[in-house]
Amino acid sequence: MKSIWLVVLISAAASLFGPTTALAHHSGAMFDREHVVELKGTVKELQWSNPHVWLQVVAAEKGTTKEWSLEANSPNTLSRQGWRSATFKPGDEVTVRFNPMKDGSAAGAFIGAKLADGKTIGRWD
Amino acid sequence: MKLAAALCVGIICSLTFVAVSGQSATGSALPDWSGAWVMEGPTVFDTATVQPRNGRAGDAGVRESPPYNDEWEAIYRKHIELIKQGTFPDPISTCGTPHGFPRMMNVPDVYEFAVTTEKVIVLAENGPNILRIYTDGRKFPDAADLWPTYNGASIGHWEGDTLVFTTISMKGFSGKDVIVDRTGAVLSDASRVTTRMRKLDAMTLEAQIVVEDSKALKAPWQVTKRYRKQPPGTWAWDYACAENNRNPVSSGGKTLTLGPDGKPIDKVVD
Repeated sequence: MKSIWLVVLISAAASLFGPTTALAHHSGAMFDREHVVELKGTVKELQWSNPHVWLQVVAAEKGTTKEWSLEANSPNTLSRQGWRSATFKPGDEVTVRFNPMKDGSAAGAFIGAKLADGKTIGRWD
Repeated sequence: MKLAAALCVGIICSLTFVAVSGQSATGSALPDWSGAWVMEGPTVFDTATVQPRNGRAGDAGVRESPPYNDEWEAIYRKHIELIKQGTFPDPISTCGTPHGFPRMMNVPDVYEFAVTTEKVIVLAENGPNILRIYTDGRKFPDAADLWPTYNGASIGHWEGDTLVFTTISMKGFSGKDVIVDRTGAVLSDASRVTTRMRKLDAMTLEAQIVVEDSKALKAPWQVTKRYRKQPPGTWAWDYACAENNRNPVSSGGKTLTLGPDGKPIDKVVD
């Protein structure tokens, strides 16, 4: 896996990125809204499903790899924002930004992504 | 024969007129609420009183000011504390029950309104949720024939271009599975809601909601929600919540996150 992961914990992220727009069907208590992680990796799968779309990204970490589960909005909402079920394809190199889980587990609330061709999806201010 | 033909034409004309213009039982034209609509603002039910201003439902310390009596204010404060601890789950996380009324007027995604001569059907994409408001002149069933449900029972009538409807027989928080919003606000099974809904202009629908609750509130709780019309041709889609629900709730009330293998990612479950 060539991908490297760049994790940047950005304090006071709200001032840089504003609140995320995820409208979960559940409490968002598990997410750390004060911080944003930026991670470079490879798309394993886009689960285009309700109630949430999940972007599975595999990134290098300490000589091995780790799979991250990034929760986005519903397909309904995202499709109106320009997403499609093939927006991310397995093998795509991608840099993603997300609010991490408070407990440090490998998941988070999706904010935005930048593909290898420079195209951005979601919020990438 | 000529008389029969004239009668026939007259009947056809009458039927055609009703079908095209959407006549109400009283003869006045029904308003055009066609298209797709999205609620303005966040999913805080009472944005007029939310603190801090622009606070988001579900964030720690965010609250509104329903005119609760002491008992229900204490319940609300307890929920606010649980939210701070991350242990106040949203009942809809189960993907098995509706949001309930009036919460269903306070959800994201698209709304559609089917206005007919005998009823108005509110279709909320998120959930999904359905509210039937009968405008055919019927009365509520006798109390013995009702039982508490998520959306209750609604009957209404038209006052000009305003739909006025009353909703009763809602579960409220009696079964712990209906909340008003994610700040932790709840109502009892004695709640009764009167809603006045009309089109302010071509792009805006407004619902003035008055909640009365003899168990929970000292005074009526008045809330206004607005809905913005979406571009022509906007689609509403399935919202099959159980399709891929990766957020079950633990026995301790903590919302979990499952990995793609279906096992919790969370480092501490309870």
